[in-house]
Amino acid sequence: MAERCGIVGIGQTKHDSKRLDVSMVGLVREAALRALEDAELTWKDIDAVVIGKAPDLFEGVMMPELYLADALGGAYKPMLRVHTAGSVGGSTGIVAASLVEAGVHDRVLAVAFEKQSESNAMWALSIAMPFSVATVAGAGGFFAPLIRGYMRRSGAPEDTGIRVAVKDRLNALKNPYAHLHMEDISFDLVAASPMLWDPVRYLETCPSSDGACAMVFASEKLAEQTQTPPAWVHATAMRSEPTMFSGRDQVMPQASLDNAKALYKQAGITNPRKEIDCAEMYVPFSWFEPMWCEGMLFAEPNEGWKMTYEGATALDGDLPVNMSGGVLSSNPIGASGLLRFAEAALQVRGQAGEHQVDGARKALGHAYGGGSQYFSTWIVSSDKP
Amino acid sequence: MSELPPITYTLEYPYTRTTGPVVGAFLTALRDGRILGSRCGDRVICPPLEFDPDTAEPVAQDLVEVGPGGTVKSWTWIAEPTRKHPFQQPFAFALIVLDGADTALSHAVKARGIDAMSTGMRVRAQWREERASAVTDVYFVPEADAVDTYVPPGEGEVELTEHLISLDFKEAIHPFRERFARGLIAGKFIGQKSPVSGKVYIPSKGYDPLARVAMTEADDVELPPVGIVAGYTVITPVQYYGQKETEPYIRASILLDGADQPLGQQDIKNIPHDEFRSGMRLRAVFRPESERKIVEMDNRWGSTGGVIDHWEPTGEPDAPPEKYLEHLF
Amino acid sequence: MRDVAVVAFTQAKSVRAERDLNETEILIPVIHDIKRGAGLETKDIDFVCSGSSDYLAGQSFAFVSGLDAIGAWPPVSESHVEMDGAWALYEAWVKIQTGHADTALVYGFGKPSMGDLSRTLALQLDPYCVVPLWPDAVSVAALQARLCLEGGVLSEREMAEVAVRDRGKGKSNPYAQVTGDFDVDALLAEPTFVSPLRRHDCSPISDGASAMIIAAGDRARDLAERPAWIRGLEHIVEPQDLGIRDLTTSRSTQIAADRAAVGKDKIDVAEVCGPFTHQSILVERALGLGESVDVNPSGGALSAHPLMAAGLTRIGEASKRIWDGSADRAVAHATSGPCLQQNLVCVLEGA
Repeated sequence: MAERCGIVGIGQTKHDSKRLDVSMVGLVREAALRALEDAELTWKDIDAVVIGKAPDLFEGVMMPELYLADALGGAYKPMLRVHTAGSVGGSTGIVAASLVEAGVHDRVLAVAFEKQSESNAMWALSIAMPFSVATVAGAGGFFAPLIRGYMRRSGAPEDTGIRVAVKDRLNALKNPYAHLHMEDISFDLVAASPMLWDPVRYLETCPSSDGACAMVFASEKLAEQTQTPPAWVHATAMRSEPTMFSGRDQVMPQASLDNAKALYKQAGITNPRKEIDCAEMYVPFSWFEPMWCEGMLFAEPNEGWKMTYEGATALDGDLPVNMSGGVLSSNPIGASGLLRFAEAALQVRGQAGEHQVDGARKALGHAYGGGSQYFSTWIVSSDKP
Repeated sequence: MSELPPITYTLEYPYTRTTGPVVGAFLTALRDGRILGSRCGDRVICPPLEFDPDTAEPVAQDLVEVGPGGTVKSWTWIAEPTRKHPFQQPFAFALIVLDGADTALSHAVKARGIDAMSTGMRVRAQWREERASAVTDVYFVPEADAVDTYVPPGEGEVELTEHLISLDFKEAIHPFRERFARGLIAGKFIGQKSPVSGKVYIPSKGYDPLARVAMTEADDVELPPVGIVAGYTVITPVQYYGQKETEPYIRASILLDGADQPLGQQDIKNIPHDEFRSGMRLRAVFRPESERKIVEMDNRWGSTGGVIDHWEPTGEPDAPPEKYLEHLF
Repeated sequence: MRDVAVVAFTQAKSVRAERDLNETEILIPVIHDIKRGAGLETKDIDFVCSGSSDYLAGQSFAFVSGLDAIGAWPPVSESHVEMDGAWALYEAWVKIQTGHADTALVYGFGKPSMGDLSRTLALQLDPYCVVPLWPDAVSVAALQARLCLEGGVLSEREMAEVAVRDRGKGKSNPYAQVTGDFDVDALLAEPTFVSPLRRHDCSPISDGASAMIIAAGDRARDLAERPAWIRGLEHIVEPQDLGIRDLTTSRSTQIAADRAAVGKDKIDVAEVCGPFTHQSILVERALGLGESVDVNPSGGALSAHPLMAAGLTRIGEASKRIWDGSADRAVAHATSGPCLQQNLVCVLEGA
């Protein structure tokens, strides 16, 4: 039924707190042109465009995809705009892949972006319910109690988060596109950084970035013709649950667990820790690495922190996590999910440069959003499904 | 009882837009009294684009001067301008094909009246005395009204253009929130007990969030002003537009006795940060009745803003974790 | 391609300003009704997709509470487009085509009465060179109308005839908002509102919501006596700059209609989403509708225009004509963006 779908082009911008040198159009085209170049294609080869980004309030443009349609080669073609909160980048990749898997199109361009410097994410999220006006806390104020809850139930050592923050920033030094390049990153530096949202320290928090990511998806026949072998999409999954109701496990949401099970079933994976070579997961606050190691069934409940602690998630560990430096090193919100998905594809195509995991053949891309309630994930591989 | 005033809020932010090379050159020239278009194939497009709008192919940055005269291709009349508009007197929006351009610019024409407007009429650019590196630096008038003035060039290249976007929203407060709000003003917490699950929600959304069954006044229940800290964070404020806090502050979720969902985002004022902890039992201290006012209420999540002065420890032993573990926010 | 059909549709009555319900609460009974009507529970629905806009509520992530309305527990496979629900239908249809779903719930919702819709929609334009002037949505449509009128593409009388037709037919639609018997000459005697548009040329501002269930193959046959089979579903976007596009035709509708093979056979019913009378005419022409077509039996967008749901509602209304046998072949249309920038065309058949 589903056609095979290959990723044949991947591009991203240099991420930065303020990309003063480009317009919104310039930002999205920088990523899109790199993806086209990687795919050895031009605009006219693209059948449809899928655009993803987080809230329109960030840039103050209502449905900016309408304004950007022709800049992204969408003129007189189909164009879709996806928005599933923080998981949107992942959903954008999934929708683009499904257009190919459905046999609707042969080549689809997916672009996700955020130009956060046009406004301020703290502002835009503070007026977003449940980040209500009264909160003026941004996303950190919302997630800090969940992290406190995880620390309490897992009994994880208090420095687990610091270790994640150091590891991801070290990985970012190997990624020329990453926003944060902290040459002096160290355990002590993170530990000494201010408690922004207790128990979350400043350096355990993601930055706010301008950036974009783009990918080109192709049907089996076309994907086989590319010079660099494609990353094949093996499985995709999305799960959502309501923000609040009595009895909801907010630390380890059912939607995360259901999503993982559905994904692995589709991919034919029975032992994820063993079968997956590396994982790029959405970790905006350092403690979410151990949490999502559990949420993606790499570890038993309350034991995800051991993977961090034992170095399993390091670039040379048995399941490297966030090889690119992750969301902790670059966070153009709307693009962050697609960047995770793209890193997974770069790894299995052998294109990850200095942060390449040797011999990576199967990788996970993961994104989440809202109040830990939206999940989108995929498995890509160098082998055909 | 009189109705509570509607919920109003203003969505406002001064957006700073980086222009990139093409819009930047356009706005720089505009500030300096010239209008630029971009050459794209055999057309000249104004305002200029970084790409060919039909094919998305990049175009050479070949900017050419157009105008300042032009021809009106279409227009409409704004009889009642708002404060957002470029003029506070009636004016026209028009599509204007500037001399030397092949596409039309959307802009404003200051004409004496609707009768002074017609398709095909000639208009001419006029520059504002005070220019702000924005598209509003220029406007158009009927050619006969045009006065050519010297526009002194500004300094440097325009790389940023600012735009304050401000939108007003208003919604009547819905019946359940009204009862919740009136309860707060009376110093009482009014929640709702789901007729399906028996769970008690405060603030209730007015429906059971899982069974999606509407709750009515008959489902209202009063809860005591006492509860336990289910989750919290200490926030070190980051300065941004609209941020009023300057010192670190606590935001806590408090599970009132008898409730199955905590009151979120409670402002804790009088308890030292190093003494604050999950499981602590607290009592709400309401403001004096005359000072209670409903603020930041909305019809989606509710709020206790403007009513509770602070929370104080009851002195009772802490509640065990199993009482609050699944109620973090 | 798999055979996929519309098997259920419900909507809220459109109102100018809903007093007692927020957008989620408007949606709750709609979703309840559609599930009950189709005899489906959450577990029977493989995929959910919705369309809405944060800017209508003036809040980031405004769509999140929609999850309350659909009963997303246990968790659901779900997505959201910041577009009219008609594009949510498209995403759901694609999902079914991949074989990963057999049934899908689709909905669109909005409560524009909270803000100033016409001015909010100005934020869809070029943020650098146009938005700072704040051309509201009605003014932008007026620029297009004048181009059409003075270019001899259509006449004020034809525009008024659309209003009379749609609002007259809307009388039999209990969910419509502005309906009644009007006289073309009387309408033309009214003063202009935003020149050259008169009030009757503009769709109302509506709070509302609608929901649809689609299903594949035998599942569809189980759920509906006479499913409305989706035989063509296409959408196309145009460049935005109003000064570059030809605003006197709807080229994107035409391309989508060609791809959806609207003209392959006789169309009995058309549901067109024209927020303004002249736009309805441009779309009807681009669809190539003949004289015998019953256009907008529901009253169309001029009778009720719940933004983010209005396009999906057109498809639902066209499906109803298939279900009751009054049409064998119908076409429905949805639009988004200033001056018909983006258009979707859906061809439905009874067999």
